[in-house]
Amino acid sequence: MLELLDLHRRFSDVVALDGVSFGVPEGRIVGFVGRNGAGKTTAMRIALGVLDADEGEVRWRGAPVDTASRRRFGYMPEERGLYPKMRVLEQLVYLARLRGMAKGDARASAGRLLETLEVVGDPGARVESLSLGNQQRVQLAAALVHRPDVLVLDEPFSGLDPVGVDVLSGVLRRAARSEGAAVVFSSHQLDLVERLCDEVVLIDRGRIAANGTIEELRASRERNLWEIRLRGVTTAWWEAIPGVTPAQRDDGVVVLELAPSTDPQRVLDVARSAGDVLAFGPVEPSLQDLFREVVS
Amino acid sequence: MTEPADRGTWQLIAARDFWVRLRERSFLISTLLNVGVISILVLARASGGFSGAPSFDLGTVGGTDVVAVADGAASLGGTDITVRVHPYPDRAAADAALMDGSIDAVVTGTQLYGLQSVDTRLQALVQTSAHQAAVDAVLAKHHVPEAQREAVSQTDPLALGALQPAPPDQQNNAAVAFIGVLLLYGQLFGYGLWVATGVIEEKASRIVEMLLSAVRPKQLLAGKIIGIGVLGLAQLITIAGFAICLALVTGTHLVHASAIWAALLVIGWFILGYAFYASLFAAAGSLVSRMEELQNVIVPINLTILVSFIISIGSLQDPNSTLAVVASILPVSAALAMPVRIVLGAATGWQIALSLTLLIGSAIALVPIGARLYAGAVLRTGSRVKLRDAWRAA
Repeated sequence: MLELLDLHRRFSDVVALDGVSFGVPEGRIVGFVGRNGAGKTTAMRIALGVLDADEGEVRWRGAPVDTASRRRFGYMPEERGLYPKMRVLEQLVYLARLRGMAKGDARASAGRLLETLEVVGDPGARVESLSLGNQQRVQLAAALVHRPDVLVLDEPFSGLDPVGVDVLSGVLRRAARSEGAAVVFSSHQLDLVERLCDEVVLIDRGRIAANGTIEELRASRERNLWEIRLRGVTTAWWEAIPGVTPAQRDDGVVVLELAPSTDPQRVLDVARSAGDVLAFGPVEPSLQDLFREVVS
Repeated sequence: MTEPADRGTWQLIAARDFWVRLRERSFLISTLLNVGVISILVLARASGGFSGAPSFDLGTVGGTDVVAVADGAASLGGTDITVRVHPYPDRAAADAALMDGSIDAVVTGTQLYGLQSVDTRLQALVQTSAHQAAVDAVLAKHHVPEAQREAVSQTDPLALGALQPAPPDQQNNAAVAFIGVLLLYGQLFGYGLWVATGVIEEKASRIVEMLLSAVRPKQLLAGKIIGIGVLGLAQLITIAGFAICLALVTGTHLVHASAIWAALLVIGWFILGYAFYASLFAAAGSLVSRMEELQNVIVPINLTILVSFIISIGSLQDPNSTLAVVASILPVSAALAMPVRIVLGAATGWQIALSLTLLIGSAIALVPIGARLYAGAVLRTGSRVKLRDAWRAA
């Protein structure tokens, strides 16, 4: 388990992190979401030791992270960076060796990754000669090449085409499921996070606003929303039912928030007496909805 | 706590910085340029100063007495200075020969003249011979016996001496010192600049964040400085070796034990000077994020090295001037100013010891300062980082 414990960090008079704590269990994928400037990159940089926290600590398998354990981390910074003039394979081997991998292993691992990630082009080509999409894949390979125990990826999906997104999703799943790595990545593509992640950490203005599996997040919401579609009814037919407030109205579709004591079947009965019911059911909030709700 | 695996980290970084630059075209060009300049300097000395003993062609216009004066000059020159005598029937013929360069000077009964001037050595020979001829004529007129005449003309020459004799081969040493300081200046400035651009390159390409997630800033800095420094050293040794071989082949007297010693001196002082300047260059480079901004931050270091270079060139003429002595002791300029004075034999033991102590001491003190500035500034992209902010951030 990678643990971030009560991290605080200020940049002159701006508070970037105000007591951030969360964990990334081994074999799990954690999505790290939040608005721009919420503190995602700062938290990740501290986890990688690129930046120091003012307070708090980062632990891996129960012990404070040091240089040796950090060598087993893989990182993809938000600001992508490779030596533009260095050759692809040579560069991956170099980065793997900096993290303590033997030369032969590094070469084999880099070669395999370039294939898995479907990097098009000559491994002996200079990085700058590759297309941006391919450079992005090489960047990902640089994070993975030493077979890390922990993967910290800052916006890994931005700039990838749909095929690239699928490839990367597969790689992350395999890293977590087959190799047991603790994977955490930040993203603004919430549908992707919802699909891929076992857990979600939602950060807002330097604090953790929500943390858990998507189901847990949904369950933690007190709102009880139901969607009803009626044909050709424009009146506010629900006004007679106690404990019902409209959350959203759109032509024939209404989303009603029900008080815990209100029986949905009673709402359905009233709706049927008002007109033809085409659809009726509970609203499963998407991560997007949860996100909006938390940060608003 | 240092992990065993950490020991190899800076070496990996140093090896990358070494090989990447070795393969760069600018390295090849700078090596060739250096070798070219050194060759010109060595060959110029080979053909100019040391083309064997000097020789002159002296024209005469006049009777046997004039020819006798010229012959006298030739015999005075002996084997050290060869004087060949060419009699001409009249001045017009002699002047024509002077114009076309077949003779160096013309002597008549009353004049000694050249095309533009007369070499001082030839002047001395002809004047002495003429004077002797005049004395001989007077002695002959007064019927002084031959034996006494001999005694007059064969006076023992005065013994030559000097209160503060210049060290032998001073001219050669000055030439060696000049070449040495030129090389040192080029290497210190060029490789320092390479450190600064290497730092900026990593910052501009953003790879520094990837690197710093794997290694500590100090390892990254140490690896870069050592890798580039070793390349600079290798190039310097190559150039010095080439210069010495070239001089051997062309038979220049530049090659002496002292020249080889001077080459070792230059190499040693390069290591010290590089150790002093490199961490400054690295810290300066870490303050900016783009190559275009490099000039702004390295101007102070640039000027320091340039001024030290100018003082060193000046001290070739007067190695014991106050300026030369002070510059050779202060650490900011010692790496260029001191080796010149050592080669010229002007530096005293205590000056060398003090200079070395100060330079090594301040180089050691500068490394952590440079490393701290570097660590504090290297991750901050965008506008130029202020020195104070970099210091505090680390």
